[in-house]
Amino acid sequence: MNKLLVSDIIDLNNGNYKLACQSTKLIIRINGEVNIYFNNEVLEYLDIYLNDNSILNIYKFNNKKENNLIINIYQNNNSKLNYNEAFINERNNKLIINNHINGNDNESLINIRNISDKNNSEIIINVEVAKNTINNIALEDLKGINNGGFIHIEPNIVCLSNDVSANHLTTIGSVDNASIDYLMSKGISLENAKKILLKGFIYSNMDEYVKKNFGGEDNV
Amino acid sequence: MLNIKNLNLKINDKTLFEKLNLDINAGEIHVLMGKNGVGKSSIAKAIIGDTNYKVEGNITFNDEDITNLNIYERSKRGIYLLNQSPIQVEGVTNAEMLRVALSEKTGKGINIFEFNKELESICKKLELDKSFIHREINVGASGGERKKVELMHMWMLKPSLIILDEIDSGLDVDANKLVANSIKEYFDEYKPAIIIITHSSALINTFDDFYVHLLDDKKLVKSGNKELAKDILNKGFREISDTFVISEN
Repeated sequence: MNKLLVSDIIDLNNGNYKLACQSTKLIIRINGEVNIYFNNEVLEYLDIYLNDNSILNIYKFNNKKENNLIINIYQNNNSKLNYNEAFINERNNKLIINNHINGNDNESLINIRNISDKNNSEIIINVEVAKNTINNIALEDLKGINNGGFIHIEPNIVCLSNDVSANHLTTIGSVDNASIDYLMSKGISLENAKKILLKGFIYSNMDEYVKKNFGGEDNV
Repeated sequence: MLNIKNLNLKINDKTLFEKLNLDINAGEIHVLMGKNGVGKSSIAKAIIGDTNYKVEGNITFNDEDITNLNIYERSKRGIYLLNQSPIQVEGVTNAEMLRVALSEKTGKGINIFEFNKELESICKKLELDKSFIHREINVGASGGERKKVELMHMWMLKPSLIILDEIDSGLDVDANKLVANSIKEYFDEYKPAIIIITHSSALINTFDDFYVHLLDDKKLVKSGNKELAKDILNKGFREISDTFVISEN
């Protein structure tokens, strides 16, 4: 894992990077296959450019920190985006992702998990597939749990081409009562049952590195 | 161990059972039989403390009145339900659930080395791939695998009253045999009380001796031993229930 202190503009080539941000605005250019990890980074603007034939996996974890962020992601030809963000908010938070697919043969998967403990959480995901493009895939998987707060999610996919495979799944709910009862029937208290269910939910789109390094029993 | 006295059971104001009395001691096996929809599973759920059911009467467990205790409190005391279609719990692995449950039960931390060793040995016994230890509970598992996973939980949590609600349904011959043998082995080792709800002889024939209770028309209509089970399985519920009603009159 490469740990980088970054500000303004950075080029990332093949590899795994944990980024610590020195400024609230960041531009990243991707070449090759890149994994990026953010842990509780306070960003306001993030622009990402995927060069042709590149693959980007992002894992962004945010636990009760400020999270008011606008992200613009640009894809041209034969690129693959796998964007994963999980956050727990106690304050009013707003996340806007604008994903522009301007060329052919791209994949975009945007996975968001949010637990709203207090106040409002607003998640707006806009994916736009440009005119005269072919063979693109756009998927949004956006899930929230109201745990004392309020969540608003807008899943938008605009397809200006006919040759697109697009789908979105959006759910907002509370902790599943059947799962709570099941865990309680195994001798787990209501408080711990809720805790491990919420923990399971918030890490469900994160990889093993995040679970081991950004997690821990007390993190959620 | 478990004493049920004058239990009236309702769901949404619909009466499921009236005046049910049942005494079950440690080391005893009691089989509940009856037609589909007669309420056998509802009794199981009432015993574990499912709040969807309204209960009147008394349930005591090890001389303690548990009628008003919730599902967690009852489970902590050693009551365990293995049901026919266990749910899947996304995001929570079997290992994590068992670690938390055992920590709560013992009031102290778990020795991870011993814990993993025991789990692996149980998986081997149940012919369950050990990858299930770190898999999410029942997610993507087949019906047979789910039942084995529930048995894995049982072996780890070591309950003293086990309710088996049609655990033998939907299993192939080999899986049925394996499940029955595992329950028999647990019974021989820990001498728990077991309540079996079943429509077949495969599981109950594993045991040398057991009590049988026939349920019909919101009541327990007849109790007996393994001969009654044979009778029911040979003649069917209707004939046995009718015989009882005629003889009662």
